[in-house]
Amino acid sequence: MSDRRIGVYICHCGGNISDYVDVEAVRQAVEVEPGVVVAKTAMFTCSDATQQEMIEDIREQNLDGLVVASCSPKLHLFTFREVAKRAGLNPYRYTQVNVREQCSWTHTDDRAGATEKAVRLVRAGVARTALTEPLEPIVIDTVPKVLVVGAGIAGLRAAIGLADLGISVLLAEKSAAPGGWVAGFNKMYPHDRTGRLLIKQLVDKVKRRENITLFTDAELVAKSGSIGNFQVKIRVNGQKTEEISTNVGSIIVATGFDGYHPRDGEYGYGIDGVVTLPEYKEILDNAGDKMLFNGKEIKNVVYIYCVGSRQQTGENPHRYCSRYCCNAGVHAAVESAEKDPQVNQYHLFRDMRTYGKFELLYGRAREKGSVFLKFDDNEPPVVEKGPDGRLKVTVKDLLTYGEQVEIPADVVVLVTGMMPRENSALVDILKLPVGRDGFFNEIHPKLRPVETVVDGVFICGACQGPKNSAESVASALAAVTQSASILKKGFVELEPLIAVIDPKKCKLCDVCSKSCPYSAIEQEHYQGKTVARVNEAVCKGCGGCAPLCPDNAIDLKGYTDAQMESMIDAMLKEIG
Amino acid sequence: MALVNPDFVNEVKRTEEFNASACMNCGVCSAVCPMGLELLPRKLFRYVLLGLEDKVLANTETIYSCLLCKMCEANCPAQVHIAENVRFLRYYINKKVFKL
Repeated sequence: MSDRRIGVYICHCGGNISDYVDVEAVRQAVEVEPGVVVAKTAMFTCSDATQQEMIEDIREQNLDGLVVASCSPKLHLFTFREVAKRAGLNPYRYTQVNVREQCSWTHTDDRAGATEKAVRLVRAGVARTALTEPLEPIVIDTVPKVLVVGAGIAGLRAAIGLADLGISVLLAEKSAAPGGWVAGFNKMYPHDRTGRLLIKQLVDKVKRRENITLFTDAELVAKSGSIGNFQVKIRVNGQKTEEISTNVGSIIVATGFDGYHPRDGEYGYGIDGVVTLPEYKEILDNAGDKMLFNGKEIKNVVYIYCVGSRQQTGENPHRYCSRYCCNAGVHAAVESAEKDPQVNQYHLFRDMRTYGKFELLYGRAREKGSVFLKFDDNEPPVVEKGPDGRLKVTVKDLLTYGEQVEIPADVVVLVTGMMPRENSALVDILKLPVGRDGFFNEIHPKLRPVETVVDGVFICGACQGPKNSAESVASALAAVTQSASILKKGFVELEPLIAVIDPKKCKLCDVCSKSCPYSAIEQEHYQGKTVARVNEAVCKGCGGCAPLCPDNAIDLKGYTDAQMESMIDAMLKEIG
Repeated sequence: MALVNPDFVNEVKRTEEFNASACMNCGVCSAVCPMGLELLPRKLFRYVLLGLEDKVLANTETIYSCLLCKMCEANCPAQVHIAENVRFLRYYINKKVFKL
């Protein structure tokens, strides 16, 4: 018999559970389980009243374990851990059993079966709880310093934001100068200030702040440690290469994007006069009174949109929309028309997406004479060189009722999209999560947009997915806030549900460290021998190592072998 | 295959009043036209914008059938000066075709 004092609460969830699971039968079945001293049902266990009742029971009945059979732990694990905490019970002695998603919602056709399954699951929960030990969160002191990788507009702005919060910054830029893409931009919408000027202002601010150190020609070559205290090594390639090692509390990745480079022959790319948008912008920016291509005046411009974006076919197609290109194409058209009001501009698009305030720019382009033609994805425009040596673009215009038209052109501008930048070395060092589209992945696209699954490593700007400069800066400042929220507190608390290695049993076969996806297994000396040790701050508690250990030296706190076995026994009661 | 002629719109467009490009192809004009002129005005304006002169001239009859009642203009969500635009076209055709 167990000497534990466990309280079990079974939830009706209004009727979500009790319509299909006989909660009273479940209660009666588990109240006789060893260690159970309180067994109750409640209409809503998450309600304030029931939470209060639980707290009183824990105190009055001197409970040392708590089981709530309700919904998914994703919803209410932390709710009931807090209940335990408020009652003075160690929160890790709480077990949530999911009888809603796993019983009532799944087995609406079999009430008896759903009830029996619920009984078995709750029994297992009780068994696990009987073997819980009090655990404390792992507390890590943080280093008030951040490494920002990439000094484009996002990285620069993040560095300044952090510095102004009193956090030191190490800003590492791979190329020879800071500024990234924006440094090469001329006038930008809507304020007409140039990208060059924006970057110059940011770099000046960086220079004025003593707590920012900017390295150019620099790259991150090694990282160890964990959230709050990473050891990083940066290689600076100058006249002589040097390596700098330091500790930082968090890392912000702002490595940006690559422009899409069209394949040979894609919309005629390779023919003289077919250029990408960045190439056209260069012509535009360097033009005097008239825009020239090969010494000839540009009178007709044809833009083709969605080049390298929203691809449906081909090898590794870029299925995403690159977001910035419709705006950039339309902006280039407005600039061109301002330079030469006589220029004729035709925009061949699949869908125009000049979202938000960029719609005004779209209107302006139209007012200045740009003509927009819509083509079907299955019938893309064809770019050729005519017998007269002039470019011609043929397209079926859906806005003119499927009329086939031929447009003579001096230049054809391929409005190219964004691509994930090749960064495999950095991905490897930081263990960055890469999405199917090749961009870095956040934890939650809406609620945790700059955090990654690697604690303490944040992403911002276009390395995460297509963004314009304003959106990149907004996400950079989000990353600043998230970094500061860790570092300003001075410490971080981590879940203690992690692997532990018994040094007495370990023979250092190294099977575990090879299996760890987080590189959390290190080595230490123990009574004259070298053994494997889990870095508490890095381990995620996935449990991948535990079953592989040939000497059974690894256990997962909160889910120990003994607990798992007792749960299996409890589920099989009456059968086994 | 129709060849786009960038100069055509400039010939038709004698003042800034001509604003065919504001048309967003919604079709309200065609729906409210008391003459039931299916062509007018949205199709017509596309032809003008692209400089498809043959297409425009092929519809001379229709262009002169317009009553200039401005029913379409009053209902246009994009404030296209439809009747005014039709006048521009008539002016052009008068000169070019009828040599008036």
